Amino acid sequence: MHELSIVQALCDQVKEVAISHGAQKVVRIVIEVGELSNVVPELLQTAFAVFREAEPLLENAEIESRRIPLKLLCQACGHEFHPALRRFRCPQCLSLQVKVLQGEELLLRDVELELVEEAHHV
Amino acid sequence: MCETSHVRVMENILHGNDHLAKELQEEWTRTRTFVVNLLSSPGAGKTTLLEATLPALKERYRVLVLEGDIETERDAERIRALGIEAIQITTGGTCHLDAHMVQQVWQPVRSNSPYDFIFIENIGNLVCPASYALGEHLRVVLLSVPEGDDKVPKYPKAFRSSQVLSITKADLLPYFDFQVERVQREAFELQPKLVTLVLSVTTGQGITEWTRFLEKQREETFRLN
Repeated sequence: MHELSIVQALCDQVKEVAISHGAQKVVRIVIEVGELSNVVPELLQTAFAVFREAEPLLENAEIESRRIPLKLLCQACGHEFHPALRRFRCPQCLSLQVKVLQGEELLLRDVELELVEEAHHV
Repeated sequence: MCETSHVRVMENILHGNDHLAKELQEEWTRTRTFVVNLLSSPGAGKTTLLEATLPALKERYRVLVLEGDIETERDAERIRALGIEAIQITTGGTCHLDAHMVQQVWQPVRSNSPYDFIFIENIGNLVCPASYALGEHLRVVLLSVPEGDDKVPKYPKAFRSSQVLSITKADLLPYFDFQVERVQREAFELQPKLVTLVLSVTTGQGITEWTRFLEKQREETFRLN
């Protein structure tokens, strides 16, 4: 259950973005959660609900987690595959020289901000 | 009317931890302090392995142990009983160590450095500690025989992010249906560079090799740098 720590880091990161853009509120946060990132998106939601209450900038913010499936590239034969049973071995040529294309990430992708209202005098 | 704005960030959420871990590693590399992060589930034998390893190392090297636990000083006391410096990090509930916690306890003792080895014993947990770099040069995951030989694909990140797999309590192999070959094969398919060692503190199996391995890793790491 390290999702609390992750959400804490995420909230700090989002706050930094919000402040640097002079935002009043954060509306939406989109994160990418790799299949092999060891993070449970549902637990992130629960943890986020706790942090949101303590932070006025985030009080209305929604969080969207996009699950990124694991995808590997065989560097021997060029085959792209999703590894069954966590076997990082190419099913076509049996090579172990594989590269992770995606699925290990834990990224803050987008932040949607509500900017400070500018005074328009007509 | 409120104006909204989309900002594309694409930044690792744990970048703060990773950045701090990198700084710690750079400092330790400069002082030739070889740092080992030990990961396992509770009771796999991390402290016991250290107790068996450190007396031989302390004859030739300056060693420091950072003991991570949720509560109590018990593990640090076990290490201190061997005449080795140990600092307890109690997280008060957090299920893993992070680079910040390590830095906090490192600051007051860094003036005593250079240490030749620092062993960081993580919180007993095969999931969460795997996500947090602590500045270590070597990550070692322990799997004890009573835990079962089916664990590698169940906790892929712990095994994939480690450089060494220590199968501990090998003296219990005759009493458990635990196939070392199965673990090795599954670990190899997840992380081909993973080095597997089979150890028993009770019989002494593999302990000398493990200690030599650590010495060699230290030499190789700092010769390269």
